[in-house]
Amino acid sequence: MSVLRLDEVTRAHGQVHALRGVSLEVSSGELVAVMGPSGSGKSTLLNLAGGLDRPTSGSVTIEGTDLAGVTDLAALRRGSVGYVFQDLNLIPSLTAAENVMLPRELDGVRSRQAREEALAALASVGVDHVADRFPGELSGGQRQRVAIARALVGERRLVLADEPTGALDTASGDEILRLLRERCDEGAAVLLVTHEPRYAGWADRVVFLRDGEIADSTAVPLESAR
Amino acid sequence: MSIRHGLLALLSRGPRYGYQLRVEFEASTGATWPLNIGQVYTTLARMERDGLVEPGGADEQGRAVYTVTEAGRAELERWFSTPVDQTDRPRDELVIKLAMAVAAGDVDVSAVILAQRTATMRALLELTKAKRANTDGLAQRLVLDSLIFQAEAEQRWLDHCEAVLKEKNT
Repeated sequence: MSVLRLDEVTRAHGQVHALRGVSLEVSSGELVAVMGPSGSGKSTLLNLAGGLDRPTSGSVTIEGTDLAGVTDLAALRRGSVGYVFQDLNLIPSLTAAENVMLPRELDGVRSRQAREEALAALASVGVDHVADRFPGELSGGQRQRVAIARALVGERRLVLADEPTGALDTASGDEILRLLRERCDEGAAVLLVTHEPRYAGWADRVVFLRDGEIADSTAVPLESAR
Repeated sequence: MSIRHGLLALLSRGPRYGYQLRVEFEASTGATWPLNIGQVYTTLARMERDGLVEPGGADEQGRAVYTVTEAGRAELERWFSTPVDQTDRPRDELVIKLAMAVAAGDVDVSAVILAQRTATMRALLELTKAKRANTDGLAQRLVLDSLIFQAEAEQRWLDHCEAVLKEKNT
């Protein structure tokens, strides 16, 4: 089942086209990696996929809902989409558990239940033992895992990851990809943006972006190749 | 790639016959470099000539069993303690191909790069899948890691070539 669908998506900033006619589908259980140099449109693609930005033309559909018809994108983002960013954006004055609880509490989940969910999410990525520590007291790898737990809490079906391995060494980076892969195997759809081939290697499919267009893909037949 | 030293390393654990060496060689390198039995026997014959191994009779099924000699142990020790020389590695066909394509002037170099990048990425997907599935042990995992690093290096180099060519053409 298709969780994310981009149809002929174009995003222009004035005369500049950040993205041109990109079509892409990510199904449940699928990990798709997007590779490309700086300025190729990777971040634009991810922002559009997560409803952080709207396309100039074309459509973005998440779990069957065309985002063009959604007025409250924030609620949809919190409910269905999990984000893992390179700069993790963990709030330093909140503990690991509180950071993971935050998106659930914004959705009106009671804090007792939100904490239970947060602990389960932390346990699923192997860092429940540091639930009550602050980000400053965690190692780089642990912080990365907390950020992933926050992206997964509350059964999100679409996970968007932008260089989620940050500056981790390759063995720790591989562990992060293993976690994302496991979520996928459990039914999540993951769209991963990376410039590191070794992490793209964990995907089912790799799409190469060049100058805002899909230049090539490891899938057969090629999608949106022109 | 040194079959000779690989076989010596296996023989240092105890006497073995040819077929057994082949199986164990492939098992410890994750079947990444398949070895045919002819190569094993040719290598053993050369090592016997050089005094590194000696045939030590036959097992109950009549197969010739080889044992490592003192000289063989010394050679193995030397091998483990010496770094591999860069110039011992084979020439890279891709590098030659791309250099020729650029020098030719009438070849669509970006098409060459694109085709290779997709192929290399597919190989990387397969290697990563093999690594995920690997439960055989540390040696195989590290062999797969090495191949992943190599594929990654090739991918990065291709990106670099593309960027440099783009710069030159604008």
